[in-house]
Amino acid sequence: MSLLARVIEEPGDAVSVAAVEGEIDASNVQEVGARLRALMTNQSTALIVDLTDTRYLDSAGINMLFELSGELTDRQQRLQLVVPSATPIQRMLTIAGLVGTIPTHETRAAAIAQHA
Amino acid sequence: MIAGMSNPSASGGPPDADRGRLEALERITDAALASLSAEQLLRELLLRISEILNSDTAAILLLDEEGLLLHARAAKGIEEEVEQGVKIPVGRGFAGRVAAERRAVFIEDVDHSDVLNPILRQKGIRSLLGVPLLVEDRVLGVLHIGSLVPRRFTTEEAALLQLAADRAAIAIEHATLTEQRQLAELLQRRLLPTDVSITGGLRLATLQLASRYLPASHESLGGDWYDAFTIGAGQIVVAIGDVVGHGVPAAAVMAQLRTALRAYAVEGHSPERVLELVNRLMTGIGPRAMTTLVYAVIDTEQSTLQMAVAGHPPPLLISPGEESRFLELEAVGIPLGVSELARYESQTFAFEPGTTLLLYTDGLVETRTESIDAGLERLRTLATANGNLETLCGKIVAQLVPRERHDDVALLAAHVEPVPERLSGRWPAERTVLANVRQLLRRWLEARGANADEIYDIVVACQEACANAVEHAYRPGRHWFELDAAYDDGRVRVTIRDRGQWRPPRGTHRGRGVMMMRGLMDSVQIDHTAGGTSVVLERRLGAQAA
Repeated sequence: MSLLARVIEEPGDAVSVAAVEGEIDASNVQEVGARLRALMTNQSTALIVDLTDTRYLDSAGINMLFELSGELTDRQQRLQLVVPSATPIQRMLTIAGLVGTIPTHETRAAAIAQHA
Repeated sequence: MIAGMSNPSASGGPPDADRGRLEALERITDAALASLSAEQLLRELLLRISEILNSDTAAILLLDEEGLLLHARAAKGIEEEVEQGVKIPVGRGFAGRVAAERRAVFIEDVDHSDVLNPILRQKGIRSLLGVPLLVEDRVLGVLHIGSLVPRRFTTEEAALLQLAADRAAIAIEHATLTEQRQLAELLQRRLLPTDVSITGGLRLATLQLASRYLPASHESLGGDWYDAFTIGAGQIVVAIGDVVGHGVPAAAVMAQLRTALRAYAVEGHSPERVLELVNRLMTGIGPRAMTTLVYAVIDTEQSTLQMAVAGHPPPLLISPGEESRFLELEAVGIPLGVSELARYESQTFAFEPGTTLLLYTDGLVETRTESIDAGLERLRTLATANGNLETLCGKIVAQLVPRERHDDVALLAAHVEPVPERLSGRWPAERTVLANVRQLLRRWLEARGANADEIYDIVVACQEACANAVEHAYRPGRHWFELDAAYDDGRVRVTIRDRGQWRPPRGTHRGRGVMMMRGLMDSVQIDHTAGGTSVVLERRLGAQAA
């Protein structure tokens, strides 16, 4: 269901940012993943995925983020997440063991500052 | 032509000439022509008229909708006209002159006159006679005949040609009206959802919808229109409108309105903003694009209804145990398509489970004999909360819609079911149902007093189990899973069952769903049997997360 989520893209030369608004589940995870992958070019060094306005995320989305992170690492690129603390999304990522595996920041500004 | 009779043009003498004229008239006014399709009739008329008048060519050109160009529609002897799609501007060339002057025009020598169409010259036509196709003083087109040798047509021949033109005009007018009505009906059928409760191929879980559309009795099809669609988690748009005008032009505006509304709605704009954007688009289309509209977003999670109105009668809110009341906005905007500067405001109303929202068009409350207030009051007292939506719509139509009506009537009713004590249902094992199941679970958990974090955790755990059930359905054919949620003594217990074969987790990440379930719930019990798989999830509310 494509209406579940919207991906707002901000492509950059080295660092691109994508905010996912709405819900990611098994029905739209491939679509969302494809949008995120399309942001990466040979010049890209990092992709920041902003989950601040993500209202729903389960293992389908988490698996996609793990896979995406692996693909980027293979190409010497990095995936970073923006997840505000004390949110359900952060709790899901913690339970799934994703926090600590993929660099996570509380704000987008903090994530971008890593590349300044 | 009846065999054995002489050809009038070949024989002379007054009695024969009279008989010839009579026969010619009979051939052109022949009642049998009426059974032909418009296309066949035009061909047959051209054939007969060129035989009767002994012409080498004959052609019918029809005026386009704007009244600016004549299009070749049927031809004999100059078939290229139709094949090449010849277009002649009104007022120019031979046919253009006939249409502009609305009278018979005769050209004795094509070489020395204003003939625009090169085909006429290429064919070596020397003389032309043309008459207008007229219906009630409106020019529909032109009928002309030509001769390859210089020829003077008589006034009698011109009169006969005009008779054929009149005959053709009536047939064309009839065919055009029928065609337009069929096209408008087809368009409208495709613009109205066949089943409003299904959006994106899915039956809505949290909202019931019902609709009715009754076209006007005699006049051509009106511009009533409605739509319902999901725009996100728990949010459903219901809209109803009345496009000014009827027939194909109204249906075309409807199509644009429907697309624009859906496009802006999906972008996440507020109701007043959606109306402003659609209004700006419609004022650009032109004065024919005026429409009234009610646009409401029902939020089944928040139990609210946010609404903006453009010159449309107020929707009715029907609540159990209360008098029905109209939802009057403090600021009703003007109809869409009137002024680019129009502003709209939206207002939020409570829309509690158990209540029904009724949208309708003015055909339901307006009659020719009484005021709209009387009609509104009759609707308000008739529409009460009993029975289901279909019963309600049926009752309204039966009691308020006259059999003979001068306007369309459209109805769209939306009803939020009260949350049941125990949630139990069967779902097709498809990924697209997951979002619907989430909505239902969220509402149910909220009604059980779960807090936001508990709702999130339990919903994710249940979705993991549902997603597993969907994955089990890998064999061809329709598969289902069942979900049963019960609450007892502070504990939520959700059972998800499917009949598929359990597949051990594959790939690197496949075990994560089960891991999430265990991390989010107090207890997780998974049973695989030959008959299927069942997952029982339990969590105590009000306690610390496990």
